[in-house]
This record gives sequence, structure tokens and C-alpha cells, in this order.
Amino acid sequence: MLKAKVRIASLAVLVTVLLAGCSQNNSSSPSATGDDENSPVTFSYYMFSPGKKDTLASETTIGKVLQEQTGVDWKLEYLVGDSATKAGVMIASGDYPDVISSSGEMSKLLDAGAYIPLDDLIEEYGPNIKRVYGPYFDKMKNAEDGKIYALPYTANQGEYSGSPNVGGGAFWIQRSVLKEFNYPKITTLDEYFDLIQDYKEKHPTVDGAETIGFVSLAGVANNFFTLQNPAMHLAGYPNDGSVMVDMTTHEAKVVAGTDAQKKWIQKLNEINAQGMLDPESFTMNKDQYLAKLTSGRVLGYFNYGWQIGDASKNLLSAGIDEKRYAPLPIVFDEGIKDQYVDPPGFVNNYATGISVNAKDPVRIIKYFDNLLKEENQVLVQWGIKDETYSVDEKGRFYYANEDQRKAHDDLELSRKFGFTYFGTDWPKYGGESTLSDGNAYSPGNQPEVAAASYTEGDKKFLEAYGIQTFSELFNKPEERPWFPAWSIALEQGSPEQIFTTKSDDLQRKYLPEMILGAPSNFDKLWDAYMAELNKLDKAGYEATITKVVKDRVAGKW
Amino acid sequence: MPPASNPKGTRAHSFFKRLVQQRTLAWMCIPFVIWAFIFKYLPLWGWTMAFQNFKPARSFSDQQWVGWQHFSTLFEDNTFYRVLRNTLVMSSIKLVLGFVTAITLALLLNELKNVIFKRFVQTVSYLPHFISWVVASSIVLTVLSPDGIINLLLMKLHLIDSPVLWMGKGEYFWGILGATEVWKDVGWNTIIYLAAITAIDPAQYEAAEIDGASRFKRMLYITLPGLKPVIVILLIMNMGSILESGFEPQYLLGNGMNMDYSENLDIFVLKYGLGMGNFSLGTAAGIFKTVVSFVFLFSANYIAKKMGESRLF
Repeated sequence: MLKAKVRIASLAVLVTVLLAGCSQNNSSSPSATGDDENSPVTFSYYMFSPGKKDTLASETTIGKVLQEQTGVDWKLEYLVGDSATKAGVMIASGDYPDVISSSGEMSKLLDAGAYIPLDDLIEEYGPNIKRVYGPYFDKMKNAEDGKIYALPYTANQGEYSGSPNVGGGAFWIQRSVLKEFNYPKITTLDEYFDLIQDYKEKHPTVDGAETIGFVSLAGVANNFFTLQNPAMHLAGYPNDGSVMVDMTTHEAKVVAGTDAQKKWIQKLNEINAQGMLDPESFTMNKDQYLAKLTSGRVLGYFNYGWQIGDASKNLLSAGIDEKRYAPLPIVFDEGIKDQYVDPPGFVNNYATGISVNAKDPVRIIKYFDNLLKEENQVLVQWGIKDETYSVDEKGRFYYANEDQRKAHDDLELSRKFGFTYFGTDWPKYGGESTLSDGNAYSPGNQPEVAAASYTEGDKKFLEAYGIQTFSELFNKPEERPWFPAWSIALEQGSPEQIFTTKSDDLQRKYLPEMILGAPSNFDKLWDAYMAELNKLDKAGYEATITKVVKDRVAGKW
Repeated sequence: MPPASNPKGTRAHSFFKRLVQQRTLAWMCIPFVIWAFIFKYLPLWGWTMAFQNFKPARSFSDQQWVGWQHFSTLFEDNTFYRVLRNTLVMSSIKLVLGFVTAITLALLLNELKNVIFKRFVQTVSYLPHFISWVVASSIVLTVLSPDGIINLLLMKLHLIDSPVLWMGKGEYFWGILGATEVWKDVGWNTIIYLAAITAIDPAQYEAAEIDGASRFKRMLYITLPGLKPVIVILLIMNMGSILESGFEPQYLLGNGMNMDYSENLDIFVLKYGLGMGNFSLGTAAGIFKTVVSFVFLFSANYIAKKMGESRLF
């Protein structure tokens, strides 16, 4: 009885296996380019960038369209928590998803051999990849073996089209402050804080709560640069990470412990003594920080536009123009030329690559290649014609109505359509690209869109300063062929990396202490800080960075 | 030779006899022994990492051996001693506070005659246990922020003039952490003591009552001694994890300003080991932790044995 059952069962299994084998043979051999190639499949895609909800690509409109073209769907997963930890755990377990977007963790992943080389795949299946990345191949090659492991996000195409709005670093100020004093032109740090102080004295409370003069996001470990970076911006340098690079000698100098840092920290110490600095700057988490920014109590803060995207969108949709913030290129002294806007650069280690665990690299590279077709690049930035954008008789892209603009700006709608998910972290044109028909690649860089998106308050602001766009407040960037120095990959566990960690720890401890302490104590604390800092191998670190900068200037990436 | 004069042989003989007798039990154990071997002993192989310059995704023979280098790096680093101090202090606080509060609450709850109120207190006190540390730390940060409820209360009571930046003063961190841990886990830890109390013979209470013992006396001379075996066993077990001061609360509540007091061994390992891809250093620190825990566990057990108390082994 039992034996008969077993026999029947095994027969059934055998038949199934045979049938499956046949059916596979039948369909795949005759039509290699037919439907079978687009058979539905789902890959996993991990992003070392936080702040988005995990989703299936096909749940967005863009993902759906791309799925129809290729049959490929993606399980998109985003970083929660600390990226270095996550990378370490991922490497230690060897449990890689099919595709990994590295953000800051590239060197670690490369070191562990997490990625497969793409050269052959590109050669065979990537005509569009070659078109887009071809001019940059030299900068993408791995220093050790000369192979390409990942596709970066900054390969600009066509003419350079800068952003009319400020998405980078700036000293932000609540517009009501500028309005109160009839839109004065301020450039120096002293003027900036004086203005805030005057306003705070006139308006000590907002909706019953105390007005906050200035706030920083220095309590969150991996956002501590928010407090470190202003020093170099104030001194007239762009964001090169932890160093300032001399324009002529190309020497890199660590910002920590410089006069610029001392001046900046001392100023914060001064305004803290005047009760203008929010002491919570050093203890609150990011949610609390963003909540504060949207509360209308904060008058000024330093930040990069991309750190506070959600807060700015929320303020915009709340519709109270005066509670929104305007970016200002503040410097130490009158004579310094501001360099807040990033010069055109190429970042080769924020990139996406195929992992060694990928089930089907060919399908993935084909998907990437398809994604890089110009029509699909338009899809991920602009969306679908007459649905999320329109084209005028001259062929210029624009938003014809409020709904189209909302599809991009509204958090929920842009999530649903997929702009949020496909806008970055995928193989793509660089953000400052121009399409082959002359339109800007990023809708935000299209002058028509920018002009139409300005609210009444925006227009009043721009008019008051006699400019067309916000970025006109800032100086044009000077050419820096090595830019950005923060993309220089340091070897894992190297003395340079240990220096970075140790000096960051030191600053995380001392800078808040100096700022919140009594002004009379400042010099004593500064000396203690410098003594500790000088114990670290700063010279070695500077030498390494200088060398890479010089190499890059010489064309060796 | 008569078999009785060979105790060794008899012992082995009787062992096998018992094994055969209890074969069903023995068979039932096997899956768990295999489980323990795979998950608790095989990973020890990874300790070899501490003596190499370990590079992930490379075969064992390709690794470079460096001997005790990572241990010396560890012991030469000043940060290491700071985090070690923090770890010891924080886990001691956790241990002592955890025991005292849980036992006190259990004793008090046991004396409650109103069952509904007792259940209510119990539920409320163990609910925080189920909140994740991420949420719990957000609650703590909000409550302790300059315009949070604690500062507000203290200001209204005129105990302080201006809001205190609780999270910004390193010296406060241990206290805050201790209070947070108690809030989160006191109810949960009480459960085991309440269970142990139910095992105490009620006749003892009756006898004591007839002899005129007050409630406090009964608590002191019957309930507490009844709890003693449980307390001692738990204490020994916790001694074994003396270097486990926890990771999440320190990580989530820590910031630059209280770093000198909040960073513990786990965070150190995370930063200089996992964070930098230096798995060897992380492993070395892990081994150190295990050795220290071992010493603590055995000494606690030895002391318990000397004092004639119940013990773990």
C-alpha cells in the first residue's frame, strides 16, 4: 500500500520535472529575443541611502512602465540606521542583494569583493551605457585592476544646466526676518547673526513658544558635518569634505583645528551666550530637528538642501511663505568670494553595481541599459507627457497646470508615481545634464519650471533683490578638476581612516563643549582640543589627500 | 578481581545502564545537542579571525596571520579603557538597580489584597518592556528636552532657574540610563519573582501570623528567604553577562556631548571593528569580553558554593 503510494508520488515528480524541462526548452531556443526574455522576474536592490519607504518598483507608475518593457521588477530596500554598520554586517554575512547602491560604503564593498566587474557585460549588452558613461570610463576604473565595478550618478550629458534653486549648502534664514528689515543685503556672518538677533528681540515668541535664533543638526552622529562644514564655506571653499584645497598649490588642509574653524566655533559660542543658539542642537535626533524647522520658531540654520527635503516640502505645502527659508551665501568677511555651489565634478564612488550574488547579471545590465535610453531618462525625471508634464510648440518641457507640478512636488504623489524612487540611486544622467533636444534633464533645472513654480512670496523675494532665480544670490563655482575631495576613497582600516574616525570623535566631544561653555573659558578649551588633535596623524592624512588631489588634477583618477 | 573494587568500572557500567534505561530521553536530547553544537560551538571557529588581518570573502588559507597584534592594539588604545569603564559601570548599575527594583516591586505587589489594582499595576509596569528601544529613546529624549515635561516640572517647582540640558551632560548619562532601564524592564523582571513567591507554602504565613508576626516581618522572614534561591541563581547568570551593558540604549541616547560616559564596548567594536571593516579587532574585543565574563561567572558560582547557596553548576 505504502510502496504503491511512494511509486505514484515519485512518478508524478518525474513527470513534472520532465514537463518543466521540455517547456523551458521549447520556448527559449526558437525566440531568444521574444517574450521569454521579458519573463517576469524580481530582483532585490539595496540602497545605502536612508529616508525612503521600502517598496516594489512595480507599485509605482514608472516602475510599472519599465516592467512592461523588460519584465523586471525590483524589491527596493532602503537603509535604516547607520550605514557603516549595515555595510559591515552585510559583508560579514556575505548576504548581498542582487544590486547595491553604495552611497558612502563603496570602498568597503569593493574591498570585500561584493561587486562583479561590468566591462564585458557593458561591451556586450550596453550600447546606451557606453553612450552615457563612455566619456567617464577613465574615472570609473578601479585603481587596482582597471575594471569598472559600478555606475555612478553624476555622468553629466550635453551642456551644463545649473539649478535655479539652491539644493546645496547655505545659511538659511526665515523670510519673515528679511521682510521685517526690508530685504537687506547681508553677506557676512556677523551681519547674519545681528539680523537674527534684532528680529528675535522684536519677536521673542512664535505662537506662544520661544523663538529660536539658530539651530544645528550636530546631535546625529552621521550628520555632524552640518556643524563642521560651515567653517570652510565661510572661508570661501566649496564642500570638499574634511579638507580645504588650495586653488594653486593643490595642498589639502584639514579643516579641524584651523583658524576658520576657531572663528566659526567662537562665533557660535558668542551667540550661545546671547541666548540665540538652541542648545538642543547637540542632543536631538533628526525627527525632532525637522519638526523644529517646520514649527516656524527657528530663524536660521546651516544645512544642505538635500538634508531637509521633506521639511522644505512640508513648509511649501503649508503655504505660509514667510515661514519658509531663503538660502544665503554667508562668508566671514566682505572680501571673501563665496563658493557654496558645487563646481561640476564627478563622483565615482556613489554608484550602483551588480553583486556577486546576483542571479542574472545579464538581465540586470539589460535593464540598466534600457533605463539609460533617453526616453526612459525623461520618464524617470519628467514622467509621462501630458500627464506629469507638457511640451509647448517650441518643444520645451513645462508644467501646464498645478496637478502636473504637484505630481513632482507632493511627497505622496511623487512616491506613488515613482520620482522619489527612480530619481537617483539608479544608473542615470548627471543632475546637471541637458537632453539632446535642449531641455534640462532635471525638471528643477528647467527655467520654465522654476519660474512657474515660484509662489507669490518667492516672486516678492526675488524682486526685492532684483534677481530671477535664487541661485543668482550665489557666486558661480570656479573650476576645480579634483572636485569633490570627499569622494576620495580611503582604504579600510588604514591610518587615514582611523584619523578620520578619531578626529571626528574629538570634534563631536569638544566642539559642543566649546560652544555651550562660558566665553571666558573658550580659549582654554580650544587649547585642550588642539593638544588632543595634534596627537593624531594629521600630516599623514593631509599628505594622502594632497597626493590624490594632485593625481586627479593630472588626469589620473 | 571482584568488580566492587573497581569503582571506575562500575560507574561507567552504571552510566551505560542508565543510558539504556533512559534511551528515549537521550534520543530526545540529540537534536538539541546538535543544535547547540552548530550554533554555539562551530561559530567559535570565527575566533581565528582575531589573529589574522581578516579580509572578508577570501578563503581561510589566503588570510594573513598576525598573532596577538589586534589585542595589543586594543590594550594600547586609551579609548578602550574608557569604554571598558563605562561598560562595567553601566552594567553594574543595571544589575543592582534591576534586582533591587524588581524584588521590591514583587514584594509590594504580593502584599496587595485588591486583585484588580494589582493586575493593573502589573500590566502598566511591564508594558514598556514591549516598546522597542528606538521608540523608547525618542520618548526619553522628548521628556528630557529643554522644553520637555521634566524641565517644565522642575521649573514650576522652582527647583531650577533655567532648563537643564539633560542629555548634554555626560555625568548625568548613567543615571538617565539606569532610570530608563528600570522604567522599561522593572515589570517584566518582577514576573519571575512573583512566580517564585506563589511556590512558598502558605502554611508558613499562617503559622507566622498566629505567632504574631506583622506583615513586614512576614515579608522579611518568609517571602525574602523563599526568594533567595531564585535571586542567587539569577545573580550568577547575570554575572556571566557583566560586560553586556546593552547596546541600543547607549547607541540611541548617546551623542557627542555625553560620549565619554555613554560609549561602551559594543559601540567601540561597532565603530572601530564593523564600521571600518576591521573585523579582526572586533573579534579580539569579543574574545576579551567572553574571557572576562567567564571569570565573573565562575567566581560568582564559586562564592555561592562556598556560602552553601544554590548554584548554577
